[in-house]
Amino acid sequence: MYISMNWIKEFVDLSGIETEELIKKFNLTTAEIEGYEEKGKNTSGIIFARIEKVAEHPNSDHLHILTVNNGTENLQIVCGAPNVRENMTVCLAPIGSYVSGHKMGKAKLAGVESFGMCCSEEELGIGSDNTGIMDIDFPVTLGADIKTVFPIDDIVFEIDNKSLTNRPDLWGHYGIAREFAAMFNRELKPLNLVNLNDFSNNKPLKVVVNSKDCYRYSSIAVENITKKVSPQTMKIRLMYCGMRDINLLTDLTNYMMLELGQPMHAFDKNIVKGIHVNSAKKGIKLLTLEGEEHEIPQDAPLICDSNDTPVAIAGIKGGKLSGITDNTTSLLLESANFDSKAIRVTSTAIGLKTDASLRYEKSLDPEITTIAIARLLYILREIDKDVKVTSSLTDVYNKHYNKVTISITPEFISKRIGVNISKEDIINTLEKLDFIVKDCEKELLVEVPSFRATKDISIKEDLVEEVARSYGYDNIEEMPISMNVEAVEQNITHLNEYKTKYLLAEKYGMNELHSYLWNYDEFNKKNGIETNTYLSLVDSSIAGQSGIRSQIVPTLVKFMSENKNSFDNINIFEIGRCVTGLDENNLAIEENHLGICIASQNQTSEQLFFRLKEILLDITRNIYNVAVSIGTEKSNIPFVHPVNSTTIVSADKEIGYFGLIHPSVKMSIDKRFNMAVLEVDLNKLATSEEIKNKVKKVSKFQDVNIDYTFLVPKGMKYSEIERHINEFKAKMVWSYKLTDIFNSKELGDYSAYTFKFNICSLEKTLTANDIDTFNYRILEHMKKIGLNLKN
Amino acid sequence: MNELEQVELSFNDDVKRVSNTKELENLRVLYLGKKGKITELFSKIKEIAVEEKKAFGQKINSIKTYVEQKINDLKNKFEEEKVKSEIANEKEIDITLPVSTGTGSLHPRTSLQKEIEDIFISMGFTVEDGYEVETEFNNFDAVNVPKNHPARDMQDTFWLTNGELLKTHTSASQNRILRKYNGPLKAIFPGRCFRNEALDHSHENTFFQMEGMLVDKDVSVANLIYFMKKMLSKVFKTDINIRLRPGFFPFVEPGFEMDATCTFCGGRGCSTCKNTGWLELCPCGMIHPNVFKNAGINPDEYSGFAFGLGFDRLVMLKTGLDDIRYLNSGNIKVLNQFGVEA
Repeated sequence: MYISMNWIKEFVDLSGIETEELIKKFNLTTAEIEGYEEKGKNTSGIIFARIEKVAEHPNSDHLHILTVNNGTENLQIVCGAPNVRENMTVCLAPIGSYVSGHKMGKAKLAGVESFGMCCSEEELGIGSDNTGIMDIDFPVTLGADIKTVFPIDDIVFEIDNKSLTNRPDLWGHYGIAREFAAMFNRELKPLNLVNLNDFSNNKPLKVVVNSKDCYRYSSIAVENITKKVSPQTMKIRLMYCGMRDINLLTDLTNYMMLELGQPMHAFDKNIVKGIHVNSAKKGIKLLTLEGEEHEIPQDAPLICDSNDTPVAIAGIKGGKLSGITDNTTSLLLESANFDSKAIRVTSTAIGLKTDASLRYEKSLDPEITTIAIARLLYILREIDKDVKVTSSLTDVYNKHYNKVTISITPEFISKRIGVNISKEDIINTLEKLDFIVKDCEKELLVEVPSFRATKDISIKEDLVEEVARSYGYDNIEEMPISMNVEAVEQNITHLNEYKTKYLLAEKYGMNELHSYLWNYDEFNKKNGIETNTYLSLVDSSIAGQSGIRSQIVPTLVKFMSENKNSFDNINIFEIGRCVTGLDENNLAIEENHLGICIASQNQTSEQLFFRLKEILLDITRNIYNVAVSIGTEKSNIPFVHPVNSTTIVSADKEIGYFGLIHPSVKMSIDKRFNMAVLEVDLNKLATSEEIKNKVKKVSKFQDVNIDYTFLVPKGMKYSEIERHINEFKAKMVWSYKLTDIFNSKELGDYSAYTFKFNICSLEKTLTANDIDTFNYRILEHMKKIGLNLKN
Repeated sequence: MNELEQVELSFNDDVKRVSNTKELENLRVLYLGKKGKITELFSKIKEIAVEEKKAFGQKINSIKTYVEQKINDLKNKFEEEKVKSEIANEKEIDITLPVSTGTGSLHPRTSLQKEIEDIFISMGFTVEDGYEVETEFNNFDAVNVPKNHPARDMQDTFWLTNGELLKTHTSASQNRILRKYNGPLKAIFPGRCFRNEALDHSHENTFFQMEGMLVDKDVSVANLIYFMKKMLSKVFKTDINIRLRPGFFPFVEPGFEMDATCTFCGGRGCSTCKNTGWLELCPCGMIHPNVFKNAGINPDEYSGFAFGLGFDRLVMLKTGLDDIRYLNSGNIKVLNQFGVEA
C-alpha cells in the first residue's frame, strides 16, 4: 500500500522531522516500509502560460504552431494536442525544464522550431488524461511554477501489506496519520465532516439486509451532481497511491477508501433505487464494472436492488449495469461492513481480489461507515456546491463489534517487557493511541477503540505490544537470562543420524542428497518400480505428484538415473521420512529411513553387494551398537533382486532390506551400471537392543598367527563354517578371520578358504607342544563338517 | 716399539688405497678383526718387559683409537656419498599430479544444521525431532491459528487424504514439546516444512526451518533481545547487532520481525541487504498465552519466547548458492562441491 506524506500531513503536523526519521520510526514501531519515492523530483521548471495565437502547421494536418506567453515573452511552440485554442491557460515545459525525467530541448517538428512543450496531465504524471493538454480553468500567474499550485512534490512510501494483516485501522491514510501522531507526540486533527443529522428530515432509502454476513449497511442518496472531473490534487493523490482517476464520483469513493480505509460504492440512483442485501442463491452470475462475468458462490452476501436484481458482489466489486458513468447525476452511496471471512471465502472462490476485498478481509471497524459518508459528502460539497442530499442517512446496523475492555497491571507490562515503565507513561501511551484508560489503583481498565477491537487487540499481551513498541524496541536494554544449570538430555537418535551421515560421506565417499516427500509416479512407472502408497496429497497440481513415499530407494534410483551421464560411479544416500502405513486412528505412521544407492560401471554386482554389507555392519555395529541378522530371508521388495537380496532383521523385527537392483529395473535404467540398494528404518534400529560389549583381556605373552587353507565344497555357506568354528572350545583362540578365497580348475568342486587364527595364552608363552596340540584339535574339529586342509 | 710404528705406517699406507665400503670393511678386519694386526699386538703385551708394559699398552691403545677413528670417518664419508648419489639418481616426483581424497559430501543443510545445533547445545538447549505429517490441530489450532483464520490461506497447505497435512511450519511441534516439558525448557526443533507454492529461484515447496523456544518464569522481551544477540553472534562468528520490528504471527504476542546487522557489509549497505544494512533473519516473539493454554500450561505462571530461522536462506547465504531449487535437486555436481563442511 502506498502512503502519501502530503496526505498524512493534512491530518498531523510533522514539521521539523526528517523523512528518514519518519520512515525509520514507522518501520520500527508500526509496520514494514518497503521503500519510498520522492515524487516530483523528476519534474521541474514547468510553468503556467497562455496560448495567444493558434496557427496551422504548414507541413502537418494535426500539429499547430502556438504563440505562447510565458509571462515575460512569447514563445513559438509546436503542439499536437487537439484541444488547443486561443486564450487557453496551459502548463508549459520550456527549454531546460524536466518532464518526468526528460530534459526539454529545442526541437524541430515537421520542419518548424519549437521552444518547449505544452503538457498533458499524463505527461506530467499527475493524472490519467492523455486526450489533450491540460486546460487550466482557474486564474493563475503566468510564468509561475505549477508546483506552487499543484502538490506535485511528495514523499510516497510503500508499506508491506503483509505487515498490516492484523491492523484493519491502518488501511487508510487517516489511520496511518494517527500512528504518526502517537509516535511523535503530535496532535491528530479531526476530520472535516458534514453533519448527517442535517438530513434527518429527508425520506430514508429502502434498505433491507437479509444476509447475516452484512454487519452494517449505511447509505444515502445525492442528486444534482454537475461536476465530472476530480480536482487535480485528488487526481495526484490517487495516482501516487497507485490508482487511476476515472470520474469524480468513482474517484471520490476510491479517495475515501484510501483516506479512511472504508471501501465505498456509488450506484446510479436512476438504476438502483433501493438496496436488498441478500445471500446469493445458487447459480447467480454478475457482470462486473470491468466487464467480466462471475458466478457468485451460494450464500455469498450479494447486493441487489429493490427488485432483487444483483448489482454488486458485496465487498468485492460493483456490477456494470448499475455503476456510475460520466452521465450520472444522482447516486446512491454505499458504506457497509461485512463479515471478513465471507468476503475472503467469496473472493477466493471467484478468484477476484480487489482493494475493497483486501480491506474487508482484515475485519474493518463497523463504526466508520457513517463517518466515511459524512466525509465524502464534505469533500463533494467542497467541489460541487450545488449537490443535494435527497435521503436521510439510512443505516442498518445489525451486528455491532464486541467492545473489548482489558484489565492489566503496570507490573505485568514491565515484567513482560523487561523494563520498568511507570503507570503514568503506560496510561499516556495508551491514550495517545485512543485507548480509554481507567485507573483503578491496583489495575488499569483499558477500553479498546473500535478500530482496534475487531481483530487486533483482545488480551493483555496485545497491550504489552502497544506499550513496548511505543517505548521503542530499540530502547529496551538487553537482559541476561537466569535459568538453572541442570544438564539437559541430548537427543541420541539425532546424534546417531549425524554419525551415520558423516561415516557415509567421509569413509565411504558418498554424497548426501535431499529430495521430496512424494513418489515420482511417472519415473517409477516407466522403470517398473512398484512401491506402496498409504497416503496421498489431496491437491497434486503443484507438486505434480500425489503419493507420499513409503520408501526412499525409488527416489535415489531416480537421482542415480539423472546423474548417470556425468559419473561412472554413483554413491548416494538420503536420510528422510517415509509414511509406511496408517495406524488404528487413520494417522500416518512416519518412519525415518536411511536409503543408499550405489551404482558403478566398473565394479561387479558382487563388489557392490559386499560394499553395502560392509556399510550396513559398520553403521549397526559401530554407530548404533546393535546386532542385525541378514541372509535369513530374501527381500520381497519388488524392485530388488529376487535372489541376491536380503531382509535386515534386528531382534526379530524386519527393519530393512538390501541387495542388487532388480534386473528389469537395471535394464530399464542403464544396463552399463551395476546397482545395489539398501534401506533401513533408523528409528527401529535405534530402539533395537544394544550389544553389551565386554572388553576381552589381552595377553601379555607372545601371540602366534597360524594360517590354514581348507578345501570347501562349492555351495557350502560361509555362515555354516563360521557357526562351526564358533563351536570350537579353545581358550587359546583370540580371533580368526577369512583372509582369502581361491578358486582354480585343479580344485574342481572345491574352493580354497584361508583362515588366519590368532592364538595366545593369558598365562604363559605358548610352547611348540601347545601349538601342536592346538593344530591337531582344530583340524579334527573342522573334519567334522568335512573340511580338510589343502595338501 | 718398531713393530708398533710399523703397524701404524702400514695402516696409513693401506687406508689411502681404500675407495669403497667393502674395502673399508676388509681394512677393518685386517687391523681390528679377531686376528687383525692391532688385535695381535695386544697379545704381545705379555712378552714385554714389566717396566715397559704400561707404555707399550698405552701406545697400542692410542694406535687402536686412531685406526678406529679413521675407519669411522671414512665410513661416514662413504655413506654420505652414497646418499648423495641416491638423491642424484632419484626420479623427481610430479607433485602437481592430482589426488582424490575419496571423501564424499554432506548436504549443505546437514553441515550447517550440525553447526547451529552444536551452538544451541552448548547453550543448554535440547534438540527435538518433529513429524513431517502432522495433524491439523498441531499445525494450526494448537498454535493459535483458529479455523478460517487467513493464515490458513496464507500458507497454502498440502492436505493429505486422511485429513492430516504436511506441516507448514516447525511451530507444529510446539504443542508436543510444551507438553513434554510442562514448564521450563530450552529447545530447538529443526525440520522440513511444506507449502503448496510454485517453485522459483527463491521459493521451494519443501524447505527447512529451525525453530526454538525458551520457557521459564518471567521471561521478557529484554531476555529475548539478549539471547538473540548472543546466539546470532555465535552463528555468524562475529558480533551481531539486532533490531526488532513489529511482526504478526498468531503464535506470539507481541510478535517481531528481527533484523540483524548485515554480515556481508557490516551494516554499511550492500546488494545482499538491499542497501539497508540489515538482514531480515528471524521472526520471533513472546509465546502467545493461547499456545500455552493449548498445551496445558498456565500462561500466568510461565512466559517464554519462540523464534524461527529461515534455515534454507542461511544455507544459501553461507554457501553462495543462488537458486534454492538446487537443495532438493539431487544434482551431484552441485552438491559434491560442498564436501563434508559447508
